[in-house]
Amino acid sequence: MTFWDQAVEIARVDLRVERRIGDVLRIILPFAVIALLVFPLALGVDLSAITQLGPAVFWAIGVLFGMQVALRQAADDRPERRDLYSLLGVDPAARFVGRALSGSVLMVGFLIVLLVATFVLYSPRLPSGWPGAVILALLLTAVGLTELGTLAGEVTAGLRSRTALASLIVAPLAIPLVIGGSQTLESLARDTSILPWLLLLVATDLALAVAGVALARPLEEASR
Amino acid sequence: MKRVRILMAIAAAAMAAGLYLTLTSPTDRLQGEFTRIVNIHAPSMWVAFLAFGVTAFASILWLVRKTNRWDRIAEASVETGVLFTATGLFTGMVWGQAVWGRAWDWADPRMASTAVMFFVYIGYLALRRATPDPVMRARRSAILGAIAVVQVPLVYFSVNLFRSLHQTQSIRPDGASMPDAMVIALLVNFIAFTLLYVALTAARVEVAKTEESRAAETVPAGDAVATPLLSEVEDV
Repeated sequence: MTFWDQAVEIARVDLRVERRIGDVLRIILPFAVIALLVFPLALGVDLSAITQLGPAVFWAIGVLFGMQVALRQAADDRPERRDLYSLLGVDPAARFVGRALSGSVLMVGFLIVLLVATFVLYSPRLPSGWPGAVILALLLTAVGLTELGTLAGEVTAGLRSRTALASLIVAPLAIPLVIGGSQTLESLARDTSILPWLLLLVATDLALAVAGVALARPLEEASR
Repeated sequence: MKRVRILMAIAAAAMAAGLYLTLTSPTDRLQGEFTRIVNIHAPSMWVAFLAFGVTAFASILWLVRKTNRWDRIAEASVETGVLFTATGLFTGMVWGQAVWGRAWDWADPRMASTAVMFFVYIGYLALRRATPDPVMRARRSAILGAIAVVQVPLVYFSVNLFRSLHQTQSIRPDGASMPDAMVIALLVNFIAFTLLYVALTAARVEVAKTEESRAAETVPAGDAVATPLLSEVEDV
């Protein structure tokens, strides 16, 4: 099996496990939509403020709950599964890429549903030409967040306080993704170039991908 | 320990010189006495950047060589770096309250990015505390230490990259934007804080060595308790 065959197979197994467990669809997504509902309730019935806050709330909830998608239970390999991968000669880098692939698919789906919910609940005023920019920013943010979550998940694998600890590590490091995602729409509204923000997202994604692949072997040893 | 004591003495002397120059250097006409805070704020942040850079370097060396020494240096450097980052944030907020009229300003990306960097390394320390096995702890924190350093250039250049209230670099290759006496006071404090960082890190490394040797001497309870012999067991 080639490197990419291994990565795709791992991604496929991950998605199959996720379909059976349903962490993202049954728990994280409804919880994120509840969070979207809580903001306007806390703010009071100020329709203009709610409309104005919509995109910002989407990015904040998207990143905070996106972490939970990246750190979902199905992405936490038990030691037996890790041993099996090692015995089968699976490249640790392929395991990282596979995990990032499956996580990105779930993250994109999660963020799209959240975007639709934001439209319904907040009716945000968006500048013309927003769909292309938002979808692009959303895809790049999803990839970066998944890579970051995969790295943090591996670093904290097997620890009792894994989810809380990995969130503590991911949240501050995800700031460039939040800035890139939210400023893309802001730049569009101000009629300035969105390219610098998209480049920030691409650079963050690439840096995380390089870190994930380069540190794959120490990460595998660390999670034993 | 003698080496640490010598380093501490040198650092204390340099800090005393820095403090003297801070209190005697001229002040800015508009900022008044609050100008002096820069002599603590800027060196604290410099030392924080240095500390996190050393952590990344030591972390990479641990991943390559797997020797305890580099893990001890990485841990000690992060602890010192977090201390200086907190000092930098606090002094920045005091200065901001006096000069800008508010301690925290969202229009200053360096403040926000420094707070983010602070929390990344709080996460690093939390990860160390949560991992009981020393080798696992060293390995996991080395990976995080090598990744987390990407924050440092972001924080440093944030004043150049974004529109910001924060002033840009005051001392540049083409000259300084303040009087010579203030520049000298600032440079002496940079040296004094760097020496203090070296002394504190060396002291923390010594503490880590002592902790390790004590942990090695401790006999786990499981080995200390012998299995009872059947001949010694009485029926009740």
